[in-house]
Amino acid sequence: MSAEKAIDIKNLTITTQGGRTLVDNISLHLNKGEILGVVGESGSGKTLTAKTIMNLLPENLVCKAQSFCVLGADYLTMEKKAKKALVGSKVGYVPQNTGSYLHPMIKIKDQIADGYLLYTKNNLEEALQRARRLVSAVGIRDTERLLKSYPWQLSGGMRQRVNIAMSLMNKPRLIVADEPTTALDSTVQMQVVDLLKAVNAQHETPVLMISHDLGLVKYYCQRIVVMYAGQIMEEAPVDEVFANPKHPYTRALIKVIPSLNMKKGERLAEIPGQITAKRSAGPGCVFKERCSYCQSACERDIEVKKVNDKHFYRCALDL
Amino acid sequence: MFGYIYKRTSHAIEVLLIVSIITFAVLQWIPGDAAQLILGAEATPEKVAALRTAMGLDRPWYIQYWDWLKGLFQLDLGRSYLFGQEVVTLIQQRLPVTMSLAAFSMILASVTAIILGSMAAIKKNTTVDYISTSLMQLGSSVPAFWLGMLFIVYFGLELKWFPVAGYVSPDHGLGPYLHSIALPSIVLAIGEVGMLLRTVRTSMLDSLSQDFMDMAKAKGLASSTMYLKYALRSAMIAPINVMGLQFAKMVGGTVVVESVFGLPGVGRLVLVAVEQRDIFLFQGLVMFITMLVILISLLVDIAVMFINPRIRIEMQGE
Ligand SMILES: Nc1ncnc2c1ncn2[C@@H]1O[C@H](COP(=O)(O)OP(=O)(O)OP(=O)(O)O)[C@@H](O)[C@H]1O
Ligand SMILES: [Mg+2]
Repeated sequence: MSAEKAIDIKNLTITTQGGRTLVDNISLHLNKGEILGVVGESGSGKTLTAKTIMNLLPENLVCKAQSFCVLGADYLTMEKKAKKALVGSKVGYVPQNTGSYLHPMIKIKDQIADGYLLYTKNNLEEALQRARRLVSAVGIRDTERLLKSYPWQLSGGMRQRVNIAMSLMNKPRLIVADEPTTALDSTVQMQVVDLLKAVNAQHETPVLMISHDLGLVKYYCQRIVVMYAGQIMEEAPVDEVFANPKHPYTRALIKVIPSLNMKKGERLAEIPGQITAKRSAGPGCVFKERCSYCQSACERDIEVKKVNDKHFYRCALDL
Repeated sequence: MFGYIYKRTSHAIEVLLIVSIITFAVLQWIPGDAAQLILGAEATPEKVAALRTAMGLDRPWYIQYWDWLKGLFQLDLGRSYLFGQEVVTLIQQRLPVTMSLAAFSMILASVTAIILGSMAAIKKNTTVDYISTSLMQLGSSVPAFWLGMLFIVYFGLELKWFPVAGYVSPDHGLGPYLHSIALPSIVLAIGEVGMLLRTVRTSMLDSLSQDFMDMAKAKGLASSTMYLKYALRSAMIAPINVMGLQFAKMVGGTVVVESVFGLPGVGRLVLVAVEQRDIFLFQGLVMFITMLVILISLLVDIAVMFINPRIRIEMQGE
């Protein structure tokens, strides 16, 4: 079963040492060749989930899961070293806030290729050749100059593109991209996502794409997972999410998708309220405080409901 | 780059001028007449007056100062009446001893601090961390004279591994030379390593918590690459500054250790100048040490520039 899935996580919970729950019992899978979008507003636990997949869970956090498989390897029983090698050789990672993920004192050419050199046994010239190709694929014209630069000489968008190119160096069998386009303007944004999509189409590389831009996800993903306050609210194929959203939070998100003809600088419509900080306190729906449909049923524990084989949601109401 | 050199040079001259004024003023005001000191209490006033004239001490202070300053800029540090020799010559004789001590103890301290400090940071809150930090705390809280004597008694007299005192110049062979400065260098290094180790540990911890370390791990890089290529590189700037300060301090004379081990270094010369009230010698030594400190801080800045490309490139842009 799990051999067919690039990622297969069951009941992942991430807590602080103080016992605060940040990611709450989520199950998530990514099929072969699929692009999965994970959406949800700030603080919903998207990055933590991605970091756990990347073997980068912050030291001060504790995670437990019933099962956790990535590319067929079982994280729960695997040795640390093997996990690092698996992630390094087969998983491409585009972190959020890419600016700080490049070492400021090392030239791009000396850090874009070191993982590649380690895992492919190719020589430096081949590595740089590949780096040039990828860097120009993300729309950077003066590749020579870029490779000779230090990260602080580059703009935020440039650095993000370097990170994207770097994530593709090893011909990854899985890509985890955490808001890969935040620092880019809209034309480059399209170019970059198109590149990821092309890689996906060519090599059937599965992609886990995190975003809080439902509009972007709509065009590039086959399936969407909606997260809120550490829980998965709804999970469905893209068409269904938009045609038949079941969860009030998903509906609210769809309503606030920025329309394409919006003027620059115009404020987005927002969902009223904020993710509650002390949400682990009581039972009941985590979204109830902000939900306009909230009823007494929402105070009890919420079951996950199934619309069909691929469509699940977590709401007490039948809307 | 030229702008930078100009800035540094003029700053250095400023510092030298200020230090020279302070030194000169303090020594003018303290009681005791140089001529009287040289001739002793029984000398007749005529003889003292004659010597004062010969030494130029009867001239107005500003002329004395001006003369002295002019000498300084020609690297003439004055003349010691105690030794009857040029201060420069006296320093030249003793500098190799002090320099050797400073250099070897700095190498010992730096290597130990970088290795242990990095390990302590990488294995934070483990036994390695606790042992190395508490050992180093112990090292820096033990007084050097006591540690020195302990070493002499044990490694010198008891085990006879090292000579107990004296300096052998490298002219007489590298082996005997290293042998003669090994113990004092170790004692000095133990005194310095604690602070350096703490600095390395702190900046290494900071460096390890940076996002680029996450990226290095996500790329699956070997631990050696992660720590040496990524973490240590950005963790070295603060320690290099501390090393510079420590080195400058030691080059200015390591009075206690030189005395305990009977080494004829600059520190002992400073001690003699103070004890014997050799004002000219003391003035000269102060100026010499000031110049050295300025020079070393320049070298430190160049080293930092070398490892931090950002400063280097911005400098070239100037
Ligand atoms: N190392 C940590 N220690 C404690 N809390 C953390 C840590 N890392 C993240 N958190 C908390 O976990 C929650 C989820 O964080 P996460 O970064 O996964 O959110 P996100 O969905 O990626 O949000 P964003 O859209 O802003 O990136 C947040 O409330 C955050 O404050
Ligand atoms: Mg995030």
